[in-house]
Formats: sequence, C-alpha cells, structure tokens
Amino acid sequence: MSILASLVRAYDRLPDAPPFGFSSEKIGFLISLNDDGTVAHVIDLRDGEGKKKQPRMVLVPQPVKRTAGISPNTFWDKTSYVLGVTAGEGKRTAEEHAAFIKYHLELLEGTGDAGLLVFRRFLSQWTSEQFQLLALPEEMKDQNIIFALESERLNRIMLHDRPAAKTIWANASGSAASATQICLVTGEQRPVARLHPSIKGVWGAQSSGAALVSFNLDAFTSYGHEQGDNAPVSEAAAFAYTTALNRFLEKGSKHRIQIGDASTVFWADAENIEDAEAAENLFSCFIDPQAEDAAATKKVGLQLERIRQGEHLDEVEPALEKGVDFYVLGLAPNAARLSIRFFFEGSFGSITRNYQQFVADMRLDPPPRDVYPPLWRYLRETAVLGKSENVPPNLAGEWMRAILSGTPYPLTLLSAVLMRIRADGDVNALRVGIMKAVLIRNFKREAPVALDPEDNNKGYLLGRLFAAYEETQRAALGSKINATIKDKFYGSASAQPRKVFAMLESGSANHLSKIRKQSTGRYVNLDRLITGIMEKMNPADDPFPASFSAEEQVLFGLGYYHQRNEFFKKTTETTEAAQ
Amino acid sequence: MSYGIRLKVWGDYGCFTRPEMKVERFSYDVITPSAARGILDAIHWKPSIIWVVDAIHVLEPIRFQSIRRNEVGSKAPAGKIKSAMKRGDLGGLQLLVDEDRQQRASTVLVKPAYIIEAHFEMTAKAGADDNEGKHLDIFNRRAAKGQCFHQPCLGTREFAASFELITPDAELPQAISESRDLGFMLWDIDHQAKDRPSLFFRAMMENGIVRVPPPDSPEIRR
Repeated sequence: MSILASLVRAYDRLPDAPPFGFSSEKIGFLISLNDDGTVAHVIDLRDGEGKKKQPRMVLVPQPVKRTAGISPNTFWDKTSYVLGVTAGEGKRTAEEHAAFIKYHLELLEGTGDAGLLVFRRFLSQWTSEQFQLLALPEEMKDQNIIFALESERLNRIMLHDRPAAKTIWANASGSAASATQICLVTGEQRPVARLHPSIKGVWGAQSSGAALVSFNLDAFTSYGHEQGDNAPVSEAAAFAYTTALNRFLEKGSKHRIQIGDASTVFWADAENIEDAEAAENLFSCFIDPQAEDAAATKKVGLQLERIRQGEHLDEVEPALEKGVDFYVLGLAPNAARLSIRFFFEGSFGSITRNYQQFVADMRLDPPPRDVYPPLWRYLRETAVLGKSENVPPNLAGEWMRAILSGTPYPLTLLSAVLMRIRADGDVNALRVGIMKAVLIRNFKREAPVALDPEDNNKGYLLGRLFAAYEETQRAALGSKINATIKDKFYGSASAQPRKVFAMLESGSANHLSKIRKQSTGRYVNLDRLITGIMEKMNPADDPFPASFSAEEQVLFGLGYYHQRNEFFKKTTETTEAAQ
Repeated sequence: MSYGIRLKVWGDYGCFTRPEMKVERFSYDVITPSAARGILDAIHWKPSIIWVVDAIHVLEPIRFQSIRRNEVGSKAPAGKIKSAMKRGDLGGLQLLVDEDRQQRASTVLVKPAYIIEAHFEMTAKAGADDNEGKHLDIFNRRAAKGQCFHQPCLGTREFAASFELITPDAELPQAISESRDLGFMLWDIDHQAKDRPSLFFRAMMENGIVRVPPPDSPEIRR
C-alpha cells in the first residue's frame, strides 16, 4: 500500500481520533464570557511551571493554512486576530483583528443560539484598548485563545463545542466544495483537497508546519494543474492522513523516534490493540532502548533479550510473528516541505529478523560499554566532533532503510567512520562494530567477533601487530608518553603499511630490549606475541602492501581493537589472580 | 488478436514518481502502465496506432535509494518566450539559477528490470494502407535493431532505459516470486478529456506479475 493509504488506515484505527474538520492545536488561554459579552475570566490553560509552560493540546476547528495572507480561524485564533494585540510591533494587527470580527459577524448572521449571540456581543464591543484596561496578563499575547461561556465553562464546554457552533463550522468548511475527482488514496469520486493540512512536529521543519504534499512552485506542477489538482486526494483522505501523522508526531506519543535528521514515525496494524502496542514497544526498544526505559516492563525486557540472542520471534511471542503489519516512515525537513527518507511496510516478523541480522553484524567481543547502544549513538561516531548535527545528512535515513529491509548498508557509513578514525584516532567499540557490520553485509567477508589468533588476513594481522607495538612502547616507556605510536602512525599504518611498519619494527626492537632488562617475563610474552603474529604472515604473499583497500582497513581496525583489548583483559585477570 | 509484443527493459535507476509525492519524488514500486507505454512510444508510434499495456513482469527485487539534487523552482515561461520571439529581442528573458534554487530529494528504484507485455490497436486516424501486421513488423524490426525516436526512459528522462525484444518463441526470464498489494497506481492520464484527469487502478502483484486492466475496464477508476 502507499504511504498515504497506510496512514489513512492508521487514522481509522486511532482510538480517539479527532472528527473530520477538527484538529488538536496548542492553546494557551481561555476567555470566558458573561452573557452580555464582557470578559468574565481569563484562564491559563498551559501546563508546567515558570518558563517551561507548555500550551495544552485542545480539539478545535481545523486551522486555516496561512502563509502570507490574512485569514482568520473559526472560533479561535492567536491574540492578534482575536483581541488585536501582540507582544511585538505587529504591522497589521488592526487588519487581522478587523478580518476576524468581519468573518465571524458574517458567519453568525442570523443565528439564534444564545452562546453564539454572546460571542457576537463580545466581538461588537471589544476594542484592543480593553486589554490594558482589564489588566489581562502580558504573557497572554501571541498565544492561541479559545472561548467559552462563563455559565458553561465549569462543564468544560467550549464555544466551538456547542452543537450550533459545530453545525455552522460543518457548513462553512463544506461549502468550499471543489469539483470531484478520483481520489488516489481511496479510489472514489470525491471533492479534492486544494491544500493539505500542515504536518507539525518534524524536527528541523518550520514551526508553523510543513507539507508532505504540496505544489507551491511552477516547477512542481504538471499539465497545467494547480495546487491539489496535481495529485487528486479527497478532503477526507487528506484530513485523515495529516491527522494520523500529526498524532504520531506529537511529543510523547509512543510512535516517534528521532534518528539523525529523520523524524521517524512507526505504527502497527493488528487485530487487537495489545498486539499492536506490544509490537510498537519492541520496535522502539530495537532503535533506542533508553527512550522506553520508564515504560519498559520486565516482560518486554525479557523478550528483547531473547530476540537479541537470535531466537525466532515465533518462539518468543508467536502473536507478533504473523498478523501484525508494521509501518515505519522517516521524514526529514526541507524548508517548508517534508522529504520522505524511507518508508518500510512489512510484517513485524520480518522487521525482527532484519533487526536480529543487524545485531549479529554489529556483535563484538569485548562489547561497547552498554551492550546494545541506541542508533543515535552509533551515528554520532560518524560525525565531526561527535555532534549529532554534524552527522552526514542522508546517512541516517539510508542506514535505517538498510537495517529495516535487510539490504546492504550505505558505503558512506564506512567512509565516514574511517575518516573519523583518521581524524581523531579513536578506535572504539562502536566504530569498529559499524565497520565490521559493513564488511560482513556489503563485502560479504567473514570477520571475527572476538580475537581470532588463527585468522591470517593481512589487514587483521597488521592491526594486531600494530596493537602489539603500541603495547610494547607502553611497557617500555610507561603510560605517560605524550604521543604514542598510535597517535602518530595509526592513519598511515592502516592505509599505507609499507611506509610505516619498517620504522615501527625497528622502534619496537629498541623497546623490547629495554623491557628485557626490566622484566624478563613481560619481554617473553610480548616477544612471543609478536613472533606469533609474524609467523602467520607469508613472505611470498606481500604481507606489508603499499596500500590497503577499505575492507582491509576495516580488518586492520578490527585486529587492532581485538588485540588491544586482550591486553586490558590480561591485566584485569592478573590483578584478579593476584588477589 | 495476437498482435502482442514482449519487451525487456532495464536500467540503473528508475523513478516512476507518485503524483502526490511529486516535489520530493517517491517512486512507485513498479513501472506504471503509462511509463511502459512511453517506452513503447519511443520505439515506434504513429497516430494510427495506440499502445495498450497488458502486463508487467518484475524481474529484479524492489529496492530504493535516496538521492538529493539541486534543481530550480520555475519553469521556462512559454508566454514570455513567445512574445520575445515576436519582438525579436531577448531582453528580460532569463532564469537566474542561483536565485531560484530548490533542493529536492528523490527516492528512486535501484536497478529495475521489467518485461512489458503489450499490444497495439488501430485508432480512428488509421489510413487505408495501415494494417496491424505492418506496424507489428516495423516495431519488431526497430526493437531488434535498437532503433528509437528518442531514448526511452524509466520514469524521468535522466534515467535512460535499455531495451531488448523478446521474440515469441523465446523463453521469458523468471519474474520475482513476490506477491503484494501495491495500492492504487496511476493507470494513465486521460489527455482527451477536459482537465486531463488521472486514472487509477488497484495494482496487485502476483508472483512478480502485475496485470494491467484494458482501457475500457471498470477496474479503472475514472
């Protein structure tokens, strides 16, 4: 199914979906009106304390899409429209306020409903000076305001909840009926949406919302169509998919996760809600275990462990294997538009299998500090200075797609990590894990998880040798050296070994002779290790090539990592043995 | 009427843009019947025939890749160009690319390969000496030689398509064994009708083969 079709289906299954024509918006204040149209109270609807006050999400008539024009919303809006005041300069506040009043007086022409008549009286007698006269709070300026009758306020009935108001709104929004066309989402003849509602909540996009489907410039239109006619989507379908997407993108919904620059939403489609929620919980733990820490129950933790060890989902939780369709959509901002980084649809069983493949690819012994780090921590290893905003732009999306669908990883991953290692010399478990995974999946090479003394691949052996030389230097000169051979030579040793290893060998000979005079046992072990590594090299086979390919550089890093951690393991073992 | 042909097309990339994702292009999973018709039109077409696509075989697994390109936001203004031609002077006719940049991402298909099964029908513009056999022969000859009016493309012009005729007695390459519901796909655009509406059909891929409904079928939503 297409992206929009699956979102429309998700809307149908949302438990508390806003009805057609309504949407949840951030509302700051409520003004309650006396029967004669004067202001009774002003209530702050925001949650939180002090500076962190967040406006509350309230179901209101759907806002109009405003870009540069003046067009008021129905029964609510920001203060420049509703009250005629703003915090800043406000070049056209007066016109906006006038437009709001005019629109509503026309809309409410001839209404008999008591509440709406109160609203009319309010509009007729309100002037922007009253804001100061009534000493309304300053922080109210530029917030969104809704209205209620004082008599109904305590019953939590807002002005737009009144049945008469709902009827008027339904008529108003339905009157702009455009010609009907076949909707490409539902396949039926329906009125076509000219502009689609905005999607809010994508990281990095405009705060007023971005559009997934938009045709605002000439180059985007075809066959002389304008705006929504380029892609006929019915109003109902447009409302459904944007509402579902906005709901999923809300802060604190259990359906979103941020991966690099891609705001990722995911949702499950199953016969019953528990299965769907279980699948969604598991998925968010695959990507970012910490995010769900508070909600992760023991049960989910146990299931996760078993899945990571490679058990088939059928045995861990058979209900999730079949019958749960899973969708993942990655959205990235591009000015006022949203670009789709990836879209995955499939059974939850196939996602789990691909995740298990990914975990197996990344497995290393010794593992990184937290054995299954979240994806963003891996991505940070590819970024300059380790900052999330420096992650190469398309990388997160492409990697996510590869993980979800089990296809080869993007090679940018490998080149980015190799560059970072050359730049800052940090060969840590996360980076080595990434490189190993790319080697296994893209280059179809076998790479050892833990130290493999029998492996005689050139890159692997030279990596181990380099680690041995570094340890020799450390044993001879102590740990307080300013620049070890790793700091100076890692980059050239891994890329152009022939230049460097002769010098390193002669240097290590000196170090070894010093160690022999200090501690014979240490000397014997190190010498045995170095000869053991060299034994595996075959002189006829060019053991010190002039340059290494990317794959061999990866194996170099892997060998270095394994061998170096052997030394740490040994020291802890000897301290334990000593105790 | 066995005036059908089978053509294998393949390329490095393909982008059969979904109409709703036109700006940040997102491709359909398989080639659309209109794109297939476009490839056939590129090889041989005359006003007296019209190509009708019958089926599409998908030969390679469906894989996507995302690329970003710097493009521009406006089209060449036809009206202004016409008036410049009449005037005989180029003043004011320009597109300053650096002021009009739009960066657009495209999600394209990687290494697509299809077999197009199609046939053609004669139209009202067929003359006295136009017959099906003649056009079929012309098409077969041109396709075998690799002749075309313009290079056929896989969705957008920058993704060129290579083609190869499959003779009636040759064996068809094996399609992928996937079966999926591809949702509503564009069947074609009705250029004859007012406002050029798009026509959609529900595409089902069974064992790698998508059956395309004929033009007067009720399956096509119009």
